[in-house]
Amino acid sequence: METVLLTIAYLASSVFFILALRGLSNQETARAGNVYGMIGMGLATLATFLAIKGGTTASYSLLMGALVAGSVIGSIMAARVAMTAMPQMVALLHSFVGAAAVLVGFASFLNPGDHAGSAIFVVEVGVDIAIGAITFTGSVVAFLKLDARISGKPLVLPGRNFLNLAMLIGIVVTGVLFGRAEGIEAAMIWLLAMTAISSLMGIHLVAAIGGADMPVVVSMLNSYSGWTAAAAGFMLGNDLLIITGALVGSSGAILSYIMCRAMNRSIWNVIFGGFGTPAATSKAATPEGEVRDIDVEALTAELQAAKEVIIVPGYGMAVARAQHAVYELTSLLRKNGTRVRFGIHPVAGRLPGHMNVLLAEANVPYDIVLEMDEINEDFESTDVVLVIGANDIVNPGAETDPGSPIYGMPVLKVWHSKMCVMSKRSRAAGYAGVDNPLFYMENTRMLFGDARDKVSELVTALKAGR
Amino acid sequence: MIVSIPRETFSGECRVAASPTTVKKLLKMGFEKVLVERGAGEKASFSDAAYEQAGASVVDTAAALSQGDLVLKVRALSDAETGRVKEGAHVISYVYPASNKPLIEKLAARKVTLLAMDCIPRISRAQKMDALSAMSNISGYRAVIEAASHFGSFFTAQMTAAGRVPPAKVLIVGAGVAGLAAIGAARGLGAVVRAFDTRAAVREQVQSLGAEFLEVLVKEEGEGGGGYAKVMSPEYIKAEMELFAQQAKEVDIVITTALIPGRPAPKLWEKRAVENMKPGSVVIDMAAEQGGNCELTVPGQVVVHNGVKIVGLTDYPSRLPTTSSELYGNCLLNLLTDMGGGTGYHVDLSDEAVRGALVLHEGALMWPPPVVEPSPQAAQAQKPAAAAPAPEAAAKAVKPKRPYTAIAGVLLLGLWLFLKFTQTGAASPATLAFLQHLTVFVLAVFVGWQVIWSVTPALHTPLMSLTNAISGIIIVGAMLQTTGTSGTAALIVSLVGALLAAINIVGGSYVTQRMLQMFRK
Repeated sequence: METVLLTIAYLASSVFFILALRGLSNQETARAGNVYGMIGMGLATLATFLAIKGGTTASYSLLMGALVAGSVIGSIMAARVAMTAMPQMVALLHSFVGAAAVLVGFASFLNPGDHAGSAIFVVEVGVDIAIGAITFTGSVVAFLKLDARISGKPLVLPGRNFLNLAMLIGIVVTGVLFGRAEGIEAAMIWLLAMTAISSLMGIHLVAAIGGADMPVVVSMLNSYSGWTAAAAGFMLGNDLLIITGALVGSSGAILSYIMCRAMNRSIWNVIFGGFGTPAATSKAATPEGEVRDIDVEALTAELQAAKEVIIVPGYGMAVARAQHAVYELTSLLRKNGTRVRFGIHPVAGRLPGHMNVLLAEANVPYDIVLEMDEINEDFESTDVVLVIGANDIVNPGAETDPGSPIYGMPVLKVWHSKMCVMSKRSRAAGYAGVDNPLFYMENTRMLFGDARDKVSELVTALKAGR
Repeated sequence: MIVSIPRETFSGECRVAASPTTVKKLLKMGFEKVLVERGAGEKASFSDAAYEQAGASVVDTAAALSQGDLVLKVRALSDAETGRVKEGAHVISYVYPASNKPLIEKLAARKVTLLAMDCIPRISRAQKMDALSAMSNISGYRAVIEAASHFGSFFTAQMTAAGRVPPAKVLIVGAGVAGLAAIGAARGLGAVVRAFDTRAAVREQVQSLGAEFLEVLVKEEGEGGGGYAKVMSPEYIKAEMELFAQQAKEVDIVITTALIPGRPAPKLWEKRAVENMKPGSVVIDMAAEQGGNCELTVPGQVVVHNGVKIVGLTDYPSRLPTTSSELYGNCLLNLLTDMGGGTGYHVDLSDEAVRGALVLHEGALMWPPPVVEPSPQAAQAQKPAAAAPAPEAAAKAVKPKRPYTAIAGVLLLGLWLFLKFTQTGAASPATLAFLQHLTVFVLAVFVGWQVIWSVTPALHTPLMSLTNAISGIIIVGAMLQTTGTSGTAALIVSLVGALLAAINIVGGSYVTQRMLQMFRK
């Protein structure tokens, strides 16, 4: 196929990708958006396949085999994954982009074509491989953490900021040496060294970040995977890669920014700050008072009498897989004439928008699922707030206690309601290690036990009560 | 210590200072004996037998006053009663020391220690013994019930087979404890409720009960310390009167509760306002005892003017005698608990609540108490106001304007210098190509920036999996590399790359589709 036609196909793909992102602006157009994305991708792949020149029959069939195999593996993974495991899945997919970018970088270096000897090309290869390697190993660590295969606690090495700096310098130095090396073998050694250091840096960067900061990490890796693709585009002189990479890169960057703002922290604080380390928490005032609990029977009566109920889900709901029971509870209450709504904090869960996906999976209509800013003023007129597996995002200390490490973070003001019930497994503090004064408030009741069991018991009691 | 509960002698008073439950608690608290005058609880539906069952001794009038070391009463002692009180006894009741000087002098002569329930300071800690608030709450409720009994229609709107009945419109003037209770009761009956108060701080409380908060256009703060209102300026009062005259045309029921401490009740509901009202309307003047808020009020009576009933009752708490007695008794119990109970009973002058209520201490005049800080609400209201500017200033200080434009300029300049000095002679094709790609890149970042901000937060997870899928576009690079000339190493590496990218594309798109299909209304 001629180059002109290929370029036009790429242009069309770019437009489709922009339309895809545009489609996600609301739920009605979202599915069409995804379809645009698939069309764009199909177009680009097909055009490229037809445009490859000079390959042998063997290389064509091998490539075909790789594409088919990849598609099959991808479909199986996507079909099998549970909605609660979405964060792991996304992280794992990011690692593939990173790995692919590293491999393309190496292939490109071994097969420079008419770029051979260009200084800019060498720099581009170095940048592509460095970002790709960081994305790859970082995503793998994020995957392992989210899948609970390794501890979600932040790994705090002594002088870790110094370590990061040293590794960065190492990457630059090996990169320069790679560019200056005479002969392909010497260059290859430096390139491998740089890849190794980048990989270590990826591991260290993500290992140092704790469980609840994962929304930021995942979106950051999302961003990296975009910049990787853009770097590959520069390397290969391919505008489609550059455009797509830039789109994805800015998307991830914006998501990271939104998550950080929702936690009232800067991105640097999330990446390099020792959040959750003991030193930060000791200053917070320890709230005093009595924790009152409530049993399913009493709560059932409260829910039956309530006119306005807001449910605030957190990561605990995902862990307990309670979303279906919550949906049942919601529909029973709605049948009873109660107005039930959901309040979602931007960083609830381990992915941006995680709670929305879980509730959607359980058939909860999206028009009763509201964002923090939309619902925060309504707590005052709410009879019962049911907090399921959330803690830090409903901590009044974030507003009132300057000593609290989460001071200044916007939170859902559940304590303004007439009654706030917290479903929790135990009295333990949330991820941030901050004690929650909400537990001791007069209008707070604790419902101890597994979220799914307790909500199911509520459903049974409500059914029996009518 | 012997506690005595005499019968209330004030005419029309149905309450009693202690119910049988109160008596039981007094004995449990360690008071050795409780004497109850025969028939003391009769009007409040507490029989003598019930008191005896609770552990009290029922005694005659004379014994009830003369034998008690601690006399608990509702109304202040009458002249006759004063003479019978034991020398050096302790008396707790309503006193209104400002207007009851002769009584205080007489009791002082008998070395009595006198505590006034009406002088308990309005501090958070003393809320549990604040009998005035407890009674105001009852009064507010009862006022609505009285209004309903004088009003010739429903409170709630009704759609009956025989026709539609509109809801009653109720205006509450003064949103103190009684006013708020009245709002709640009237709302409970289904009326449309409006409320007016000079203190802007109560707006939220009014609205939280479901009433509309009326305002005048003149700006003035009516908070006068101690949680009470103060006297307003003439302009304000004029505007207020206009508002009331207007409202009078619309509302069916007016309940006025406006009181200013130490002054006669302000005249708020003028004659012309009454004349503006529809016949059959009702004015409940809860300030009748202090002269009334309505110009036409006659204390203790119901008068009719132009078909409008003006109710000037003064004994609302007494009309719910059982509950009033129970709650008054609880206030007494709470006060006595703070004073050490039966075993450790003493007058602690450093206790703010006790000091505030203390009128006579062993015959010595202790009233009025030294001035302590004013209303807790006022203090609270001031605190955040004072604290607010600080964080704002801090935020400004730590968040300087970020010079993005300057940074971009420096980067571009740096790029130009780098290219100028690393390349000799005319720009190579590679450099030109790079610059062209850079242009595309920067523009694409801007497009991405614009598009992504419009994505709804609920779809952030699908956004991530979708962008993830399209970042699999790197497959294009991998595919292009499979046709190189330099051997199998590059081929294998690119094939693996293509495989991984394909997993990414298909997996990401499919999972996005799965998620998006779940979002439904």
